[in-house]
Amino acid sequence: MRARTERNCFREPLLWLAAAIWLSAGQLVLAQAPPSPGPGKDTGTLGLTAGEKIPPERIQEIYRRILKDWSDGQTDRAPDELIELESAVVVEGDVGTRKTLLKAEQAVIHQVGAADIEVLVPIAVLHHEAYRRLLDGGWRGRATVMGHTRTMARDLAILYHEQSGSEGATLVSSRLLTSLGGMLLQSAQQLPAAELFQEAVELDGRNAAALLGLAMIYEKNAQPESAVKYLRRALEVDASNPEGKLRLALNLKRLKQLDESRRLLEELTAASDPSWVTPLAYQELARLDSDQDKADEAEKVLRRALERFPDDARLTIQLAAVLDRKGAGREATALVEKILSSPSSREASSSRYLYNAVRPEAFAEARTFLAENSRSRLAVLAQALSAQVEVSRTGVGR
Amino acid sequence: MIRRAALLSGILTLLLAGAASAQVAVHILSPSSDQPIFGPLDVKVGVQAREPIDRVEVFVNGKLMGFSKTPPYRVRIDVGDDNVRREFRAVAYTRSGATGADTLVTNPVQIMDELDLKLRALFVTVTRDGERTLNLDQGDFQIFDNGAPQEIVTFGRDELPLTAVLLLDTSESMREKELEAVRQGAKAFLDGMKPADEAMVALFSDRLLRLTPFTSDKATLASTLSGVKSAGGTAVNDFLYLSLKALEMRQGQRVVVLFSDGSDVHSVLPASDVLWKARAGQALIYWIQLGGKHKSFTSAWRDYTANDREYDELEQAVRESGGRILPIERVGELELAFRNILQELRQQYALGYYPNNSKGDGKWHKIDVRVKGAGRVRTREGYADY
Repeated sequence: MRARTERNCFREPLLWLAAAIWLSAGQLVLAQAPPSPGPGKDTGTLGLTAGEKIPPERIQEIYRRILKDWSDGQTDRAPDELIELESAVVVEGDVGTRKTLLKAEQAVIHQVGAADIEVLVPIAVLHHEAYRRLLDGGWRGRATVMGHTRTMARDLAILYHEQSGSEGATLVSSRLLTSLGGMLLQSAQQLPAAELFQEAVELDGRNAAALLGLAMIYEKNAQPESAVKYLRRALEVDASNPEGKLRLALNLKRLKQLDESRRLLEELTAASDPSWVTPLAYQELARLDSDQDKADEAEKVLRRALERFPDDARLTIQLAAVLDRKGAGREATALVEKILSSPSSREASSSRYLYNAVRPEAFAEARTFLAENSRSRLAVLAQALSAQVEVSRTGVGR
Repeated sequence: MIRRAALLSGILTLLLAGAASAQVAVHILSPSSDQPIFGPLDVKVGVQAREPIDRVEVFVNGKLMGFSKTPPYRVRIDVGDDNVRREFRAVAYTRSGATGADTLVTNPVQIMDELDLKLRALFVTVTRDGERTLNLDQGDFQIFDNGAPQEIVTFGRDELPLTAVLLLDTSESMREKELEAVRQGAKAFLDGMKPADEAMVALFSDRLLRLTPFTSDKATLASTLSGVKSAGGTAVNDFLYLSLKALEMRQGQRVVVLFSDGSDVHSVLPASDVLWKARAGQALIYWIQLGGKHKSFTSAWRDYTANDREYDELEQAVRESGGRILPIERVGELELAFRNILQELRQQYALGYYPNNSKGDGKWHKIDVRVKGAGRVRTREGYADY
């Protein structure tokens, strides 16, 4: 709903940009940490101090300079500089400072965007990268800055889609929203992540990563019907996606659709090329048998699984428990002793944990796609910037 | 029969007195003679001598089963499945050739009418006016198994060696402050262990992060607690089952001390498997529960209702085992909780009986232990008759 409302504002893109930031920032303040105590002494390569009173013209100048660095391929430095600038201008809890930053950045984007709409892609990706670094570095006390830069990335993506109207622009925008959603999901912000995935899917109904992301959120929130709906759509796009198949199988099991659930699990275990979900498929297939009091079947499944994954501690524990209940306590004991004495089975990473978490790989394809599309447009951004008034570098604070 | 601590202490004193002439005092610390012995086990031997020990050899029914050259002297052996009388003999040799020895006999399970009778060990806490009562005798107790009165064949208090698993949650929700409290609490428990006691320390999250073997060596046990970093999710069911299963292979008063907030997310085993194992086994489960009341949650693995059910079943497994839940609000209370558990274990009465109504059909047997006079009794609620 929100996306549609906002898209109506695309006729006045900059006005819409401001409104969207106001809306999203409000949500973020509610969803994230309490504001930081105020100005600090942190300085970076720009020499700016947090909470420093920087005149709007100088913010524009520095922002333009950062865009220039980005377009020159300074991919390490430019996102850090953007974080430094935005952290310097925005005082947590002071909405006026955020508004100042927004207006200054809008002004620059308006100028360079007028030359070529394609510049929006690398600028959006720059904000996306800054947001990723903020997340990696810990967000405590920086909720407003994070909300700002994330919303900039999102709004620029949608703006680009609306202004360009091309199929390529749709793909880029949808991937950027997906990647942002993935980052939010990784930091356990499910609601805003769901909104971004939803928007990504509305732009591109064949965006499998966004469909899977939405399904994961519904699954985690005990809404298997919705999860199944999105998983089926994801599998229509990518029929061989093993993670999608497993999630569909488990959500169908929750809905008591056991035949289809079993069929999917059997397909996964029969696949000759194992993935990280294959041991899980064996585990869940055996669970399905155990739940139906088919201990012999569960044992067979687990023995087959251990032939393929002999060091898998989880499969070993599960087989021990099945055997124990069947009265084969001595073999169960031997299996347990194997786990207790085998460092390799102890240190194996837990795919059960990965299933409930967000694997960085889940959105890697979207990020690669974005990076490539941003790189190919850096020259356009450089050209647009050079067409602007020559800005003196004096006083930037280097 | 359970050996009395006083008797053991007397024997040890005599042995030590004799050491002046023999120079080597030997005492088999484990197994104990009160239970039939089967399968693999560790024979633990205490040795005191005035000169360095070269080795300790362990014989069963005259056959050399193995030896140990370094203290604590422990020899892993497998005595097989035969239901027979076994004579354990430990012989210690000094470097100069002096020797000392100790012998212990374990009896087979008595088989009558082709019924395999399994000794049921009950660990009973008795409180009066909130205080544990420590002066009761065998005659003060009555055991009812599914309502049928039972003959108490073993009785004692603080005499069986303790075999403990400290199962400690070090998942990513544990910050450094919590981890330090876990270290201190577990160390307090380990410091209170007696020489014949043994423990295994297992640090877990969604996987086993660290693990010791069963040992009486406090330094080994404590060392695994240092420098640990929290990581991953939580899989209580899987590792509690593993602990109960590991204890099956041990002797003595068996106990799992679990520290966790109990929010199992990642186990492959349902809590019903833990409950089944707790019912079928003889180990006590104590659960130090951080964070007070259970908060309902959902995950990719289970919804709210399923998670609540898991939590309830885990609590049920603890109660039915005869252990208890110790809820704590702050990690600062952790050390005291560990100390309380150890003290409670030391102050429990150990009652053993051969159920006269056992059929081995897996059915639930309700246990009722009564004491003469007023008093509140807590012990295992029952067992599955396998």
